Amino acid sequence: MLKQLIFTVILVVTIAAFGYTVNRLIKLFRLTKPAFPVRDWGKRVNLLLKVALGQSKIFRRPVVGFFHALVFWGFCIIIFGSIEMVIDGISGAERSLSFLGPVYDVLMAAGDIFALLVGISIIIFTIRRSLLHVKRFTGVEMKSRSHVDAIVSLSLILLLMVSLILMNTGYLGLQLLSGTEIHGSYPVSRFIAGLLPGLSASGYSTLYHINWWVHILTIFFFANYLPYSKHFHVFMSVPNVFLSRLDPPGKLDNMESITGEVKLMLNPDTAYSQAPAGAVPERFGVKDAGDVTWKNYFDSLSCTECGRCTSVCPANLTGKKLSPRKVMMNLRARMKEIGPLMVKNGQDYTDNRSLVRDYVSEEELWACTTCNACVQECPVNINQPSLIVDMRRYLVLEEGAAPGELKSVFSNIENNGAPWQYPADDRLNWTKNLDFEIPVFAGLPAETKPEYLFWVGCAGAFDDRYKKVVRAFAGILNRLNVSYAVLGKEETCTGDPARRAGNEMLFQMQAMQVIEILKNYEVKKIITTCPHCFNTFKNEYPDLGGNYEVISYLQFLESSISEGKLKLDHRKIKGTGITFHDPCYLGRANNIYSEPREIIKTLSPGLVEMKRNKSFALCCGAGGGQMFKEAEKGDQEIFIERTGEALETGADTIATACPFCMTMITDGLKYKNREENVRNLDIAELVAEAMEM
Amino acid sequence: MNIVVCISNVPDTTTRIKFAEGSSAIDTAGIQWVINPWDELSLTRALELRDDPSSGVKKVTVAHAGPASSEPTIRKALAIGADDAIRVNCTPSDAYYTASQLAAAIGKEGFDIVICGIESSDFNGSAVGGMISEFLGIPSVSSVSGISMENGMPVITREIDGGRESVKVTLPFVAIVQKGIAKEPRIASMRGIMAARTKAVRLYEPVDADCLTEIAGFEKPAPRAACKYVDPDDPGKLIELLQNEAKVI
Repeated sequence: MLKQLIFTVILVVTIAAFGYTVNRLIKLFRLTKPAFPVRDWGKRVNLLLKVALGQSKIFRRPVVGFFHALVFWGFCIIIFGSIEMVIDGISGAERSLSFLGPVYDVLMAAGDIFALLVGISIIIFTIRRSLLHVKRFTGVEMKSRSHVDAIVSLSLILLLMVSLILMNTGYLGLQLLSGTEIHGSYPVSRFIAGLLPGLSASGYSTLYHINWWVHILTIFFFANYLPYSKHFHVFMSVPNVFLSRLDPPGKLDNMESITGEVKLMLNPDTAYSQAPAGAVPERFGVKDAGDVTWKNYFDSLSCTECGRCTSVCPANLTGKKLSPRKVMMNLRARMKEIGPLMVKNGQDYTDNRSLVRDYVSEEELWACTTCNACVQECPVNINQPSLIVDMRRYLVLEEGAAPGELKSVFSNIENNGAPWQYPADDRLNWTKNLDFEIPVFAGLPAETKPEYLFWVGCAGAFDDRYKKVVRAFAGILNRLNVSYAVLGKEETCTGDPARRAGNEMLFQMQAMQVIEILKNYEVKKIITTCPHCFNTFKNEYPDLGGNYEVISYLQFLESSISEGKLKLDHRKIKGTGITFHDPCYLGRANNIYSEPREIIKTLSPGLVEMKRNKSFALCCGAGGGQMFKEAEKGDQEIFIERTGEALETGADTIATACPFCMTMITDGLKYKNREENVRNLDIAELVAEAMEM
Repeated sequence: MNIVVCISNVPDTTTRIKFAEGSSAIDTAGIQWVINPWDELSLTRALELRDDPSSGVKKVTVAHAGPASSEPTIRKALAIGADDAIRVNCTPSDAYYTASQLAAAIGKEGFDIVICGIESSDFNGSAVGGMISEFLGIPSVSSVSGISMENGMPVITREIDGGRESVKVTLPFVAIVQKGIAKEPRIASMRGIMAARTKAVRLYEPVDADCLTEIAGFEKPAPRAACKYVDPDDPGKLIELLQNEAKVI
């Protein structure tokens, strides 16, 4: 009875303390902005099964991932016994769930075995963390507090496992000696009990009771420690996976407030009038913790600082200051600092500090290539780039602040419709001296409706090297008698570089213009060689009313080859090996991995993979607006790192599938003085080289 | 202290210029109009001064002489941050006429400093700034590469051969500026774009002024000839071409 009373009091205190924390968190969440609506429950359950229960992303690093999975699965099983202990504690009963019979036996046995496995894993983790100097446990954001926090959490978990096994051992010994029925099965504890033959019944009883209390009190303490620790992910990660952003990672969210403004501006009747009341947000983009969405904050609470994101970040790998982990940690810390003050003094309260600049510097923000390697790697589906771009949006839209080169890019897109300074009149220069005609929409008779729009892109129109790629691809379209046309002088930038550099206004102006032009020509299918244009058309234009069937030229080439329409003579390919560099905006952003590989397989001399390939591929360094600006200070340029990796394969052809990647790899080859003996060709050029005449 | 920045409305610098009316006028069809790059940098510097409380500059006005079709360019300047604008409703023909109109309008506004780009990227006449100062009867400094304020007085820097010159000048005056006046043009923020829609543009009707010059005709440079490639194994051919065709050796 006394035990029941004490237990109940402690339980109430525990719940009250936890309730206080939850209440505090709810208030902080109320400060945040809306994100996406949580729909598609089927997809979410699926994600939960795969990413959370299946630990699919944890296993991207198989060895350490395996031990983590053991701990996770162990927790899932052991929690059953913990629930039973709470029931026992309140009711005064013992093993109150044992009526479940065989199910109970299995759960108890599994819990007992997992306690050992989790314990071993925790010991391995502790040794690894303290002795092995794992690189991703270092970094400017990893203060000693993080390590102490980790060691405390690991110790608490170890204590939980040891006490569980000893409790079971005590229980077994007591029941065996008293000859009463044993509920459940405990293989590990039975083995340990066998090692303690001399213990009396009271000895076993003491062992049992002490460990029962140690175990349950540790759980109660742990539950209230976690929300203030980086190990809060024990609670938050599964819900965070369930609440994942389901859009393709390449898609950036549309800013509705800007859409309203662009529509006002494009309409001559409203162009010079006041914006309607309520249409103007207090802030464009994210400056401080109060500007983030609930999902950003949820992400920051789910982050356990494992650093997998930072360890694959191309900017961080090459010595730049950006660390996606730091961005998440900064958001959590900033909310902890300003949130309670905003709760107390109102949403408008300011302490003259902010997330941007006081926590995350502009230098960090402008170093992101939006390659999505961090998103791909995060075991709990945190989305770092969307927050980074939202902070860029603040800088550009509110302050007009951006690196000088990007300001020029904005002006160029606005004035001449391309990130570079070339006139639209020159957009068809790439078609000069071709031995076939390139059909242009404006020049076609009204009744001719080509099936495809071939979107050439600014690089295809203006970059001398990449012009050869679009010429090669047009040659293939021509050979296959595909019904297509280009927009020629009417083509203009899709707005992708502007959007990724934070200039949402310019992006939407471009997008609405493009959508209008495509509407005039009743375009339904778009085929493009540029992965950035592809991603923008496919994932981002629908938000603004532009719905098309968007096809990457790789998908088109692959199906033309597999359907036998395109015949290739692999003997025509020069060289001894081809390696393929995955463009981020085809691969991670849009899951196009197999098509380029299928195409290359049909070409002699075949494919040699780089160390990091497919979803692990390292960015070339040009995405997210980086193509047009100097890189931030670091140890090395990203393109040199990636070119080095390509050269390590020994292949004498580096195949690319993106104009930016091509520029980067070509520069890398020049830097390494290898352009004489290693070719950098686009897949379209390789296919054209192998085409049977 | 108020600054007036004169802005010219010019074709985007990448435009492939075509001529009309027997090569004496520019074919404006399909042209994207922008703020003259020199003026854009002048505006940027003026706004930097206004945004620095210690400079004493309180207001930046943009002044333009041109028809209603220039309105988007004026709005762009307002979006970048100018406080208000004046426009003389006319079709500028030559520098004398344009400067007459701008000087008349600016004279009616209160100002301390007038900033003009040294030239405009369309006709590159390099005359308007100097003429404005003459019409207004105030000093001007040309080829200015820096303006700063010290104790309420302007300090001008000019790049000169092999060095830099500092000039002190009395207010009011006209600064005729080079591109180095600001590092890079300021871009419009979202709030700026929104505010620009309702900022005041004061309209002036043109005063009587003569056109002293007239463009008789334009012509384009001859297109670049095709590049000739010479076989690296045949240096004799290269020498022959350089000697007889290019006539450089």
